[in-house]
Amino acid sequence: MSSNQPHNDDSVLEDLAPRVDRDLHTRHVRGTALLWLVMTIGGVLCGVYLTPHLMPQMFAKEGRDALLTVQVFTVAAAPVAALVCSVALYSLLHTRHRMSLEHPPKDGKPLRGNAVASGAWLIVSTLLVVFLLFWGLAEWSGQQVVHANALTVNVVGNQWVWNFEIPAQKVELEGDKTLEITHPISMSQLNLPINVPVNFRVTSKDVTHGFWPVNFGIQVDANPGVTTLTHATPDRLGKFVVRCSQLCGLNHAYMYTEANIVSDSTFQAWIDGGATKPISTVTAKGAA
Amino acid sequence: MSTALLEDTKLSSIAGRLYRRQNALTGLVFGIGLAVIGWFISLNTVQSNENFGTDMTVAVTMACWVIGFNIGIGTFNAVFAWVLGHDQSREDELYGAGVGQGRSRYFKYCTDHKVVGTQYLILVFVLFFIGGALAMMIRTQLLTPNSSFLSPQTYNAVVSIHGMCMIIATIIMVSGPFANFIMPIMIGAKDMAFPRLNAMSFWVVVSAVPPLIATFFVGGVNAGWTTYAPLSVQDGPAMICFAITIITFVVSVTVAGINTLVTVLTMRAKGMTFSRMPIFVWASVIGGGLGLYAMPAFLLAMTLMVADKATGTSFFVADQGGSGWLWENVFWIMGHPEVYVILIPPVGALMEVLSTFSRKPVFAYKMIIGGMTGVAGLSIMVWAHHMFTTGWAPDLAGPFMLTTELISIPTGIIFLCAIGTLWRGSNWVRLPMYFGFLFIWNFIVGGVTGIYLSDVPADNYFHGNMFVTAHFHYTLLGGAMIAGTAGLCYWFPKVTGRMLDERIGRWAFWLIAIGFQVTYLAQFYEGFKGMPRRVANYDPVFQPENLTSSIGAYVLMAGWVVLLYALVSSWRNGPVAPANPWSAKSLEWHTQTPVPLENFLEDPLVINDPYGYGGVASEQIHAVFGANAAAHHSANEGDHA
Repeated sequence: MSSNQPHNDDSVLEDLAPRVDRDLHTRHVRGTALLWLVMTIGGVLCGVYLTPHLMPQMFAKEGRDALLTVQVFTVAAAPVAALVCSVALYSLLHTRHRMSLEHPPKDGKPLRGNAVASGAWLIVSTLLVVFLLFWGLAEWSGQQVVHANALTVNVVGNQWVWNFEIPAQKVELEGDKTLEITHPISMSQLNLPINVPVNFRVTSKDVTHGFWPVNFGIQVDANPGVTTLTHATPDRLGKFVVRCSQLCGLNHAYMYTEANIVSDSTFQAWIDGGATKPISTVTAKGAA
Repeated sequence: MSTALLEDTKLSSIAGRLYRRQNALTGLVFGIGLAVIGWFISLNTVQSNENFGTDMTVAVTMACWVIGFNIGIGTFNAVFAWVLGHDQSREDELYGAGVGQGRSRYFKYCTDHKVVGTQYLILVFVLFFIGGALAMMIRTQLLTPNSSFLSPQTYNAVVSIHGMCMIIATIIMVSGPFANFIMPIMIGAKDMAFPRLNAMSFWVVVSAVPPLIATFFVGGVNAGWTTYAPLSVQDGPAMICFAITIITFVVSVTVAGINTLVTVLTMRAKGMTFSRMPIFVWASVIGGGLGLYAMPAFLLAMTLMVADKATGTSFFVADQGGSGWLWENVFWIMGHPEVYVILIPPVGALMEVLSTFSRKPVFAYKMIIGGMTGVAGLSIMVWAHHMFTTGWAPDLAGPFMLTTELISIPTGIIFLCAIGTLWRGSNWVRLPMYFGFLFIWNFIVGGVTGIYLSDVPADNYFHGNMFVTAHFHYTLLGGAMIAGTAGLCYWFPKVTGRMLDERIGRWAFWLIAIGFQVTYLAQFYEGFKGMPRRVANYDPVFQPENLTSSIGAYVLMAGWVVLLYALVSSWRNGPVAPANPWSAKSLEWHTQTPVPLENFLEDPLVINDPYGYGGVASEQIHAVFGANAAAHHSANEGDHA
């Protein structure tokens, strides 16, 4: 099977007996199926185990949804991609005339189509598309839940800084707690309490920016003249970066700031302290 | 020739005499001359308007350049002559087709489709060289996190023009050289349906290039190739030059698209029914037709943009009642079909390559055509997937997710047909086939990463980051451009009359293949980690991937340079090519090399599709010529009688 000699014999025999052709066909199918199996398993393993290492730790459900989608879609696409690659690789391995300057002595098998193969391909790809669509719609509608008790944060993009304003408001928290903001807060970093749903109202003072709190896994453009909405519920303590995802001119690369997710007691302490100090120092006090 | 026509010869000499005095140099002189006049006049009239004066002056100057160049090269000769009641004589037409002018015909308004195809090929090389050099500047800037190799302003200008230059180059890379040189021969035509419009389509693109380069000298385009308003409205006069380039380019693409459609509809040889047409012809028709739908939206958008900047309208300016979303919609109504205007012709070329070198018929001929048509049809309904994160019409996320994911069905059909053609082939792995296999791998990666982006929740993470950059480079560079390269290596012997040096070509292939994977797999990783696109500097956490990507990009560019060397040296000194080095069946391989004027010494009669490999004897022959054709024809007549 590995040397060139038997192939030439096969090609002569192909003409002679349909039975030999059938055997050959079985052998080609088996070889390709083996390659396909190996590649599919490889793709599935990559999807399940590799992709989580590629993406950062997410701070909200939306971010973990994105990661899960990558995993699921990789697994779903693996068999199809593996089929294409295995047929291509198999025909390359079985190439009879590698780098030869001479014409192949004989043409290939004149297959002008195969109703079963085409039909199966169409059905499988349609089913996959239906699955992708329902997956996406289900996840998307799961993200549309708007919490009645949410903290409103106004986000303003401005060449080339982010500004965040928390208007005066009272938010009922779980466990009969209340988060009370008595006077509006303006901040250059995105400071948020953990486990409090946040509604972002996003706009711009000049050109279009892209509000991208990276580890929330959400994005919405900041457009001049309109307010766009997005939301997330931070569920992890720590800090990450808020970036601009839409080219906005000269210093687009420098339009980023820090997001700090703190406990609600720290957040309340920071507000009570006038909301002027960096929130990290407040955390230190709270701990001491 | 009738006496009436002979008398016309004298009358015709106005356009004809003009043609004999015109070339690229007169085009340049007229272009610069009219531009200077336009600049001078607008300097003394509109420049005084302090809000729009400079933009208006630049717009007038650039428009004058384009018109002047085309007057100088001869685009309007025939029109002028018709207005004066003259037509061209046979001698004028032969002169226009470049008869007896040697290499100088490549610098003239030449109507021979093979000359136009070759001109396009050279232009594509030039544009890819410019775009590639700009890409190298980008990757050099991104070697280190805080590099100051380019200023932020220069960096943005380089990114924008890299994008637009490559978009123009990829749109014309197959539809220019091969749909002009090869496609008419494939259908057995003597030339394109409108030879003068063919020459026009080429020289109009040429006149569109200098304004694009000029952007660097008038402040640079700051807004990327997508030139989202209102950032682009904020830009300086470079944006005007950019818009003039697009408007001019769209004129060319439209003219070329109509020419392709009419040629295929009306100029096919006897017996060349639609079901016998090579896949590449179908691909040229579908790509050209889709361009006719898509590109005018770009012209419209850019015209409104010029109006906003140079006359004070406010289509895209929010604080005066306009909307940036309007720009984004019109832009992507052009922008997504445009991706397939780029992709479909190279895929058609690739199918010819796969069939010829696996010595098999293309698998499921009608399904391929259906697949390409389906892709083209759906592509006009997916534009807003570029706008999932803009905040515009969140309720449309679902429908656009549907159409976007549906497009993977016809795309999948194209994959099925590609692997079906390879399956049990008698594979002959020459250089075009190397690129064919590379296409399959790259396009699988590009396709699978595309389905992540079609999913709204995932797109909310990946939009605007390097993942998107890597994805569309996998589809457009790794997919379309690699397939186009397969086509180039395949048709090189026919176009140049020389065999390509495949030993050097294989070196180029491996550099390209490996450099490409390194460059863009690293960029996928940057995207996963959350690095935004189009940034001149970046967080040091992204340093290792960017270094890797830049090294990969240098290897990739080295590969293209080696390939260019192989192409140029083989074109000059390669061994003379036989008429049909690949034993292929389609018509272009069954005429002499170099191809004579009007392509065939004897008219072809097509009796089968060109994919009769391995079939019974009667299927093996695609077309018969001359006496054989007459015999075949009368035999068939006899059958009917």
